[in-house]
Formats: sequence, structure tokens, C-alpha cells
Amino acid sequence: MSMESEIGNENGVGSLEPLAERLAEGDPGAPRELVERHHAELHRYALGLLCDAPAAEDAVQEAFERAFVALGKYPKERIGTLSLRPWLYRIVLNVVRNVWRDSRRELSVAEPPEPDERFGAGSSTTSGSNREAWLDTLEALRRLSERQRVAVSLRYLGDLPYAGISEVTGWPENTCKTLVRRGLRRLGALLDESEEKGGR
Amino acid sequence: MKYEESRRLSEEGSEERMAGLLGNAASRLRLRGASDEPVERMLARGTDRLFSCDSPLGEVYVGVSERGVRVVGKDASPKRFARRYRERFGRILSWGEDEHTRRLAQRVAGALAGEKIEVPMDLSGTTTFQRQVLEVVKGIPRGEVRPYAWVAREAGSPKASRAVGTVMATNPVPLLVPCHRVVRNDGTTGSYAFGAEEKVGLLEGEGVPVGELADAPYLATPTTGIFCHATCRNARRIKPENHRRFRSAKAAINAGFRPCKVCRPVVAG
Repeated sequence: MSMESEIGNENGVGSLEPLAERLAEGDPGAPRELVERHHAELHRYALGLLCDAPAAEDAVQEAFERAFVALGKYPKERIGTLSLRPWLYRIVLNVVRNVWRDSRRELSVAEPPEPDERFGAGSSTTSGSNREAWLDTLEALRRLSERQRVAVSLRYLGDLPYAGISEVTGWPENTCKTLVRRGLRRLGALLDESEEKGGR
Repeated sequence: MKYEESRRLSEEGSEERMAGLLGNAASRLRLRGASDEPVERMLARGTDRLFSCDSPLGEVYVGVSERGVRVVGKDASPKRFARRYRERFGRILSWGEDEHTRRLAQRVAGALAGEKIEVPMDLSGTTTFQRQVLEVVKGIPRGEVRPYAWVAREAGSPKASRAVGTVMATNPVPLLVPCHRVVRNDGTTGSYAFGAEEKVGLLEGEGVPVGELADAPYLATPTTGIFCHATCRNARRIKPENHRRFRSAKAAINAGFRPCKVCRPVVAG
């Protein structure tokens, strides 16, 4: 019984063929590579949008499931020409928007949980004061408008260029730039504010 | 003017500061690589799993969904197998390297080798008639064969011999559903998706006297007055001196024998 014996021949480990084409060709090693390549950055991005580690993990999980289901149904030619990264970011955004919509319905009953709990202690290598700064930032991020939060997260947590942000969201590139700029300013103001209150 | 200027500068400073903070946080988080567990979970939910294993037909690829084995087949490469799987079921395949799939792979390998192991199967891509037929065929024991007409009747559609042939030809899970044990009504082995010779080889490997069956698929004994499919477990207990061979069930009836209640030969026609 061999599960990996064939990977080496036809599919070629470290093949130069783009991942999208390997997915289109049916390479059974390609789905794992897709997850391994993009899982961490999508999680970071979802965390920026949702500010809740378990919820972010669930969102990424669901996004990959949607992506794989779609890849099973798309025509081969379409898969081969997909820009996988922006495509995945777009799916995560769709999933997150559903989470937002659902949570708005429940908001009236649910008390906001303690931030430290929600960011999943020990789930990152961030430590000490860096960690605190990061938590404060996430908390502030949560208070931006949805569009600003999306744009800022894509730019700095996802490290996407403006053209990519535009591709993911469907907003014009200049709108994306404005949203990021205003988002950052507001973020700064929010953080200063919380510092003046003696931190939290 | 001065005020405007300084405000602009301070705003730009704020932007830079925040960009730096976010960028730093992101790069620190980047160290946190995806561990295997969530990766496996995502593959398990979004894709069907693939593995290869040995079988009496040589190396075969096996595609499994969450519910069980969907396809067993041979192909030029795993890539080609996965591509055809996707065309057929609209799901992509990934190598099943997780614990769950490994365990299933071991069971499948055992079942393919002829061990009596139940393997979960997912036949959701088939019609009701196909499932009925496959269910009947699954019950044909190792070392025995049955004709198409018998399978048709057992599946509740006595006139559908030909349709049974089609179901056998497109059986998604050969060996697990032993379609090689379904033979022509005259006792000859007939065709097989992997080649007629493979079929003969498989049956001989299971101890079926292929040559004898082609002459006389039915066997009767005067001691009880009963006739059977020649490979029925009751037929194999008949002493050689009492063997009465028949080319058809009708001939056995005409000679005064009644059909066995275990293997239930088809008498009509």
C-alpha cells in the first residue's frame, strides 16, 4: 500500500507548474499545498476581521471547504486560470460577512466577551508588551467601520497590494487606498484614546 | 495654514505608526505555521481522499468520500484517476495521509485481497436499480458464480438481464462488489471491465472450476432430486458418482429435478 509513491513521478515534488494548473490537472498533492501555503495568512486576515481566534479558525475552515467544493465543480479551464490568492481572500470575506450578519442578530443578547479570552491565549508567538500592543490593535480594529477594517486587514494582515484588495472586494483601487488611509488614522486615534485612559 | 500643515503631518505620522504596528504583528504571527491537524481537517471536509493499494488486479486507486469508498479503479496515473473522479463526482481528490484514511486503506486492502471485511461504501452516485443490483452481487460468496438472469430476478427485475450486464460493466467498486462472479446464463464467463482474461484468472484464483461450468452450469443429484448452480455450497457436497450435469435449468426441470432453495436457480424461460 503506497500513498505517496506516485507523487514523485508525474506530479513532481516542487514542480514548477503553477498550483492552479496542478489543481486543474487533478494532482492529488495540490489541495494540501493550497492549504499549507495560504492557511496562516488567511487566518491572520480573518482574525483581523473577526477579532476572535476560534471564530477566525472556523471561518478559514469553512472558506477552504467552499473553495474545494467549488474546485470540484468548476470547468477545468477556469481552475487553471484562477488567481488563487485573491480568490481565497474573497471567499474568506464572504464567510466573514455571513458571520457578521448572523452575529448582528444575536448581538442584543450576547455580552461582549473579554478580549484576552477571544484572541486565544497561547495561539500566537507574540509575547509581553508586543502582545499587548497587538491585542489593543485588534480591539481597535474591531471598532473601525466594516469597509475600513476589511481594507486595512487585507493590506497589512494579508499583505495584499491595492490591486489585490480591489480584486477581492470589488471596490475601485482608489477607494481601497482611501479606506486604508482613513482606517489607519482612525486606528491611531483609537489607540491614543485608550492610552490616555491609562490603557486597559 | 500652519495648523493644516501640522495636522497633515501628524496624520501621516499616525498612518505610518499604525502600518508599522500592524506589519510587525502580522510578521510575528507569520512564524506560527499551520500545524498538520487543521490542514487535515480542511482536506477531510472539502475534498475526497485518494490512496492506492494492491489487489488481485494489480495496483488500484481508491477514492473515498466521508461516507465510504466511491471508486476502485486502475489508471495510468493518480492524476488521471483524480481528474476522471472529479468529472464523475464533482469532488476533488487529495492524498489521504491522515490516520482515519490509513485505517480505512488497510481494511480496503484486506477486502480486496478476499478477506471477509466489511468496508463502508458510498454509492450515492448510482440509481436505485444499480444499488439493488450491486447489493445482490455483493452477496455472492467467494468461490461461487451466478448468471445475469439470476441477479436480475434477485434484484426484483427478472427481465432486466441486459441491464444487469450494464450495471456490471460500470460497477464503480469492482472486487468490493464482486461483479467478476456474475457470468453468462450458459455458464461461460463473459466479459469484464478489466478484460475477459482477468475475469477467468480471478475466478480460478477463488477456486471456481471455470472450464466445467462452461459445459454445465447446473448440477443435480438423484439422491435428493434437487438441482443447483454448480458452485452452490450444496452442489459441492454431491458425491462425484451422483453428479448429473445440465446445460440449463429448464433441462434439469424436464429431467424431474426441483430447484435448490439456497441458490434458487432461475427456472423461467
